[in-house]
Parts: sequence; structure tokens; C-alpha cells
Amino acid sequence: MVGVIMEKLLFPFVSIVGQEDMKKALLLNIVDPSIGGALIKGEKGTAKSTTVRSLSQILPFRETVKGCAFNCDPSKPDRLCPYCSEKLDRGEKLIFEMKPMRVVELPLSATEDRVAGTLDIEHVLKTGEKKFEPGVLAQANGNLLYVDEVNLLDDHIVDLLLDSAAMGVNYIEREGVSFSHPSRFILVGTMNPEEGELRPQLLDRFGLSVDVKGDKDTDTRMEVVKRRVAFDTDPKTYTEKHRVQTEALRERIIKAREMLPRISTDDDIIRAIVTITTNFGIDGHRADITMMKAARANAALDGRDSVTKDDIRAVASLVMSHRMRRRPFEEESFDTEELEKCLQSI
Amino acid sequence: MPSVDLRNFPFSAVLGMDDAKRAMQCILVSPNLKTVLVRGGQGSAKTVLSRSMGSISGKRLINIPVNVSEEQLFGGMDIDATIKNGKAVMQPGLLSRANGNIVYVDDVNLMDQRILMSLLNSVLEGKVVLEREGISAEYETDTILIATMNPSDSDISSHVLDRFDLCAYASFPEEEDSRAEILRRNMEFQKDPERFIAMYKDEEDALKDRIDRACKLLPLVSISDDLIGVSVELAVKVLADGHRGDICMINTAKALAALNGRDEVMKKDVEEAAMLCLAHRRNYVQEQPPQPPQQNEQEQQDEEPPQDNDRSEDQNDRDDRDQDEPENQEQEQQQPPDLDFQKLLDDMVFEIGDQFRVIDYLDDRNRKVSKTSAKKGRRMIVESSDSSGRYARSRIPAEKTYDIAFDATVRAAAPYQKSRSHTDMAINIQKQDVREKVREMRAGCTILFLVDASGSLGVRKRMAAVKGAVLSMLRDSYVKRDRIGMMAFRRDTAELVLPPTRSVEYSYRKLEEMPTGGKTPLGEALVTVNEYMTSYSRSHTGEMCYIVVITDGRANVPLKEGSDANDEVLKIAQNLSIPQVKWIVIDASAGFIRFDNAEKLAMALEGTYFRLEDLNADRLAESVRAAIDR
Repeated sequence: MVGVIMEKLLFPFVSIVGQEDMKKALLLNIVDPSIGGALIKGEKGTAKSTTVRSLSQILPFRETVKGCAFNCDPSKPDRLCPYCSEKLDRGEKLIFEMKPMRVVELPLSATEDRVAGTLDIEHVLKTGEKKFEPGVLAQANGNLLYVDEVNLLDDHIVDLLLDSAAMGVNYIEREGVSFSHPSRFILVGTMNPEEGELRPQLLDRFGLSVDVKGDKDTDTRMEVVKRRVAFDTDPKTYTEKHRVQTEALRERIIKAREMLPRISTDDDIIRAIVTITTNFGIDGHRADITMMKAARANAALDGRDSVTKDDIRAVASLVMSHRMRRRPFEEESFDTEELEKCLQSI
Repeated sequence: MPSVDLRNFPFSAVLGMDDAKRAMQCILVSPNLKTVLVRGGQGSAKTVLSRSMGSISGKRLINIPVNVSEEQLFGGMDIDATIKNGKAVMQPGLLSRANGNIVYVDDVNLMDQRILMSLLNSVLEGKVVLEREGISAEYETDTILIATMNPSDSDISSHVLDRFDLCAYASFPEEEDSRAEILRRNMEFQKDPERFIAMYKDEEDALKDRIDRACKLLPLVSISDDLIGVSVELAVKVLADGHRGDICMINTAKALAALNGRDEVMKKDVEEAAMLCLAHRRNYVQEQPPQPPQQNEQEQQDEEPPQDNDRSEDQNDRDDRDQDEPENQEQEQQQPPDLDFQKLLDDMVFEIGDQFRVIDYLDDRNRKVSKTSAKKGRRMIVESSDSSGRYARSRIPAEKTYDIAFDATVRAAAPYQKSRSHTDMAINIQKQDVREKVREMRAGCTILFLVDASGSLGVRKRMAAVKGAVLSMLRDSYVKRDRIGMMAFRRDTAELVLPPTRSVEYSYRKLEEMPTGGKTPLGEALVTVNEYMTSYSRSHTGEMCYIVVITDGRANVPLKEGSDANDEVLKIAQNLSIPQVKWIVIDASAGFIRFDNAEKLAMALEGTYFRLEDLNADRLAESVRAAIDR
């Protein structure tokens, strides 16, 4: 039922001025989707949405089952949707297809049934056959799920996201009939904290977080304005001008993804990570694991086959800033000096 | 609302409102400008002007009512067609009809903030993404949005405000001549609309022509790097968040140049663009002001309440602007950081040219924006747990529900009607179709002042400041429907002087009578306030409560005889956990040797901390408000 609309040209990702942390957090997630997504917090008008949406230009291709509404990944036979696994059981072969990863947007006005999908119970009762109308969580499988103004999202929609993000599976349970399908996605949320804070459970779900600020430097701001105005005046030519750079970045991401499994981490690095998280007083193992993954992805992006302290330095604030216990009158901030001291001591 | 047919009143017959007119022409010219907000008081013809947009653009005006639902606006299910077809059929929303036309919202500040946000984003992106009740669709909507609002009702948050590319201020003309002329034109229009429209036909045609030519010229308009630099610097100087202001300013300046038949942007264009693009994006530094001179403090307390100050300033704004008396204003506003700010801008004037109207113009006008948005900003909206409050959305019930959302239920059942048996019912609704209502209500909050009335705080002036602050909060809360209560502790007890109330008068008397002197039973006070607020918050579910402790934190009456009073206080504070309650501690200690007791107390309570000497009476009210709104 999706109408055919002309794909509007998006501002090129490679042409966005500054905001290095935001870009890094997003790229790391594309290299390793198991990092757990990114939360981008910041004042209005700092290219948060522009950046996330423009990712579609550099997202890599991936293998999916042709015609599957749930974007099943054929390389993971244990994580197929009921339809695909039935096919396999019947001895049919699944046909593969290469599709680009997409940025799937979850609009604020979305309702539960369209997010989770709906199960036609009557059909089940009458025919014994399950009939399921896939929702956003099905579309999001294997893709990037983007929630703008994530802090304004309804609580019951947030719950649905949390469940799926935690298990990688969307379960629908109605009147004793259940259905489930894979739903693994890179969750990216953007928000302006002035409008309200995020629920702590959701905050912890995000692998990385970034605080973005507008640049106050006149030259940088001039550059931002000039590029934007140039793009608005003639989007086609502007995009064309950045094609080579965009392709180069896409290549870099594909290489990094291939390289990722081969990246080695020695005991020193593991120890260093644990020392840092302990030093910053972070509870739980999620931060440790995320930091390891992020550091590896960072090394892969740089084309190196082993993780170094520099990788840790590059990702530490992204991993820890939203996980630190906030003391009463402190703004959420990250002490880079403290990190440096910590790294030196190791 | 006047009963005349507003749609036909010619654009050029509207007197004054130059900024608003300019803004509207700009968005008709530039495809990169899409949203305009017109702010102004009642009867400033903002509605008339907005509606006359149709007559100069040849576009249709789609009116969006403020109580519009998400289905109506973005699209939803066509129930008839769905029942007939046996599968969900979409009914296009208002926005799909708006494609190529103009969307118009009156009193936009009264609109649901979430819907407004989605509306603005859809217009700015030019597309609508729909995932609602069985309908999944995406469609283009190339439209522009005109909105009007009266800031004296309530304000929209700066986050939403930033989504308006341009913002113009409409003010009612003060001069008798123009008022008379407006009246005359209105009478003429009512008497014979046809004739009146014919009278302005030439002017309207000329304007249409001008806009058409500007559209064609726009792609050729260039702007020098110098002027881009000036624009950016202006945006930095007014502390605008993000880059939207800068970008809009350039686009607006280009549109203005095109409207004037030029292919190059001039200083004047940037100046005019700045007024439209920066006024509503301006920020003030959130700094604790230095202590104002004594006599000033006195004056302030004798003066009218702050709200009234605002009102009178608003009215005097225009006159003040032309006078060379910034001191007068500064004194009233108590914002010394602005003096430096003014100087910065003066330097800018030198760079840009002689009569750069923007500067003081922005200064005056924006005060309104930043003040209202800071004060009234975001009200807490909570989901109501019973069947009171406004029906906002529907959801699938987790358990048995009694608050059924019939519309959503029928929609959920609609696709299945074809296959379901209809014995004697028109619509067959099954258990799984049932949706329940999610209701929202605006929650006021309760602010309880826990005031140290002991001898150690007995410096009379301090007590006066505290009383003044509480009173300011009371006035503020009266407008906002918050409740204010007060508990005082001295000698060896804590006493509820004023149970949380909305009555200003009653509380004023209680405040006057509050005695001071004696020892500081801080521990006792914490225990008492804990008991009281725990049961209070239980009986006021959904209401956010704040306890503002004003003390020097130096306890000297232990609960248990022989133990250290201060250690005891911290231990109690650490263990306190009252649902829905946040703490604010205001340090009232004085003298050269500062004790950190109050600071430690704030830490133990995980509350926000302020020092009294950084605040005068009015400041205290503002700071508390800021801490609450955060």
C-alpha cells in the first residue's frame, strides 16, 4: 500500500560539517550492528535528523530471502520467520537476494498494531493457518530503525521497541495465539533533552550515546550554511559532486564489516577496558561488552587488525557517558582528563 | 471571531503588519522556506492576513482545526470502504489535500504538541509517513504552513518554535489614524465586499506579479561571503541554538532580494531576514546574576508582581525602542549579562552599517519570547490512570478494560466485517478488536516550601527574601494551577503552616504571621515532611511534587538524644524516598565562613542546590521554576 513517491535527494552524509562523534557512533553501529544502536541527544537544529537519514546513502547491501516480508537473513537458519522456516521444512529452497540496508522511520504517531504487526485471529481459528500483517518491526529487521523525538514516544510503543531490541524477536500474543518473527535492527534515536528526558530502561538499551552541540565558531557555521544553501539550490549537482566521497565511505564500511571477525583483542585490551569502566564506576557488564565491540569496530573502520588504546580512547565517551551515575547537581558530562589519566596508568 | 467572510479580504488592504506580510511573501517565493508563525495579540488582524494569502498566491487554504486528530490530519482508515472490501482502506488526511496548497492553523499554541511536531516535520520534509491502525502509507505533501498564535494564552516550547522557519510579530497599531483607517476599511468591506475587492484588484495583481517574477529570479540570486558571515555572526550573537536560524536567514534574504527585483542580496535584506528568522530563536545566557544593589532589592519587593511587569512592558515595547534609555529596562529586567551583550551587538552595528534596526528591535521583542517560553514552557502532561482527562490515543488493553475507545475499536473490527457473521448486529465486534482509551491530563504540581525559621536564619532580611520568594511562587502558581504549601521548623518541631493550596490570599496571611527564632530541628523537619508528603503524593497520583528546603543546614536538635544532629540529618536524607517528589535545597547560610552543610544535604537528597545570596526574591521564584521545568 506504499505509494510510489520520488525519492527526495538527501543531503550527503560526507558533506556534513563536524559532528564527528555523532558520525562515528553511527558508523560503528553499521560496522557492527550488535553494538546496540545510538542515542543522539542535542539542541535543536544540529543536523541530527539530517545525519541519520543520510545514512541510507552509505549503508551496505545485505543478503535477504527474496520476497520475505520480514527481511529474513538466510545465513541465520535459526532466526527465520515462520514462513521461511516452513518453506525449509517442506524442502523448498530459499532464494537469496542482495538488498541495501534501509533507514526505516518510526513516526511518532504510530500505533501499536502497526509497530508490532497484527495477527488475524479469525483466520487462525477458521483455517488453522497463521495470517500475519507485518508491522514496522518486521520492516526494521536487518535494517536501521530511526525514531525521531524518541523521548516523546508513547510508553506502550517504547515497551514494544524494548522487547524487540532486547531479544531480537518480535512476539505477538493474542487470545492464546502467538506469532513471532526476527526483528534485529540498529536502533537510532534522536532527541532534544529540553523536551523531556528518556526513560532509564530505554536509555540503557542504547549501545552508544552522543551529545551534539551547535558550533559557535563563525567560520564553521559559515561553512555549514554555505553547504546547505548550495545543496538546496541544486540538490542534484551537489549530490553528484560528492558521489566519489560517498562511494569511498561505503567501500570503507564494507571492508570494515568483512574485517571485523578477524580483529584480535589481547588480554591487555580487555584488562584496559575493565579498568576504565571500573574507574568510572559503571555497573553491569553491558558497558564492558559494548566498549569491546565498539573498539573493534573502530579498528576495523581504520583498517587495522588489532585493537589499540587509541580505539578505546575514541569510543570510551560514546559508551560510558549515558551509563555513568549522575551526581545530584552535575550535568551529564564526560571527563576526558580522567579517561586520559586512566589510559596512561594502564 | 468576526462573521464576515475573511477569505476574500484582500492582502494589500490589510494595514501595517509589514513583517508578517514580508514573511508570507518570502515563503511563497522560496521553496526552501515552508513554515511561518505570526504571533500577536487579539485583534491584530493576523488571522485576516493569513487567510488573505489565498488571494495573492492562487493557492487554496486548508484550515486545520486545533483539536484535529492524528487520523484527520495524516490519514486513517476509511471505515465504509474497509467494511465493504474486507481489508483496510486508507482515507486520506487533510495533509494529502494540502499538496500544492497552503495549510493554515489558527491558535497553534493550543494544539497538541505531539501532533504539532509531527505536522511541522511533515511539512518541512515534504512527506507524511503513516503507520496507524492497519494503515501503512507514505505520501508526498508539498505545502507551506501558516500558523498564528496569541502568546498571552500559552506559549510553545523553543524546540517547536525553532521548526518555524520565519516568525513575525503582529502588533495592534497604537496611532488613532491607522486604527480609524482599519475600521473604515472593515466597514467598507462589510458593506460591499465585491466593490471593496475590486478597489484593491490592481494592487493585488501587482503583488501577484511581483511574487511570480521573484520566483523566477530566485535561482539567480547570489549572496556575498561577507553577508553570509554577517548573518552567521548575528545568529551566534543572539545565541541561537543550532543552524536552522542561519540557513533560514540566508534563504529569506535571497527571497527578499528577488522580491525587490535584485539578483544580489544586500545588507538591507539580511537585516530584514534577521528580524524574521532570529527573533524567535534567541536565547539568553542562563547565568546566576550577581547580587543586585540593596536598594534595588527593596524596590523590587515593593513593585508589582512580575506578571504585571511583563504586561506593561509588552505594551510599551514599541515606544521604548525609540528611546535612548536602555538603563530603565535593564533595571527592571535584572539581567546584567545583557549589558555586555548589548555592547557586543553595538560592535556589530559598526561592522554592518549605520541603521541596523535588528539590534534593539530583537532585544525588545525577544524578551517576550524568551520570558514566556522560559516560564510557561512545558507543562507536565501525564497519562491519567482513571477515566478522567482528555482522550488522546487508543491502545490494545493489557487486561479487561471499561474505558473503551469506540472509534478505534470499530476501526480494528472493520477489515473483518466481510468475513464475520452478522446475525442481528450491524457490526460484529470481537474481543480482540477492543481498544481502550489512553487519557491525558495536564498535571499541575505541588511545591512545598520547607522553611528554616530558626534563630540561625534569623537575619531578618533573609527571612523577608524567603517570604517574598514564596509569595512570587504563589502568584505564579495561581496562573498555572499549581499548589503551594509551606512547612516551617524551629525550636523543636516542624509545623505545617500552610497545607498545599491554590489560594493566594489565604497563604499570604499565613506567610505574614510566620514567626522566627529558636533552634534548628532539621532532622525532625525531614521526618515530618516525609510523613506528610508520602501520604500526600499517594492521594495525588500523577502529580509531581517538589520540596524546596530553605535552610543553612546547620541542625542543632538531634532526634535521638546525645547523637550528632548533622550526621543524623544526612543519614535521614539519604534514606528518604518519597514517590513523585524532587528536592531543591536553597542554602541560606551567611557570613565569611561558609559551611557546606546545606550542600551536603542537597547531595544526600539528590536534589538541586542554590545559594540564597545568588538570588533575590524574584530570582528565587524563577530559579525554582527553572529547576522544576527542567
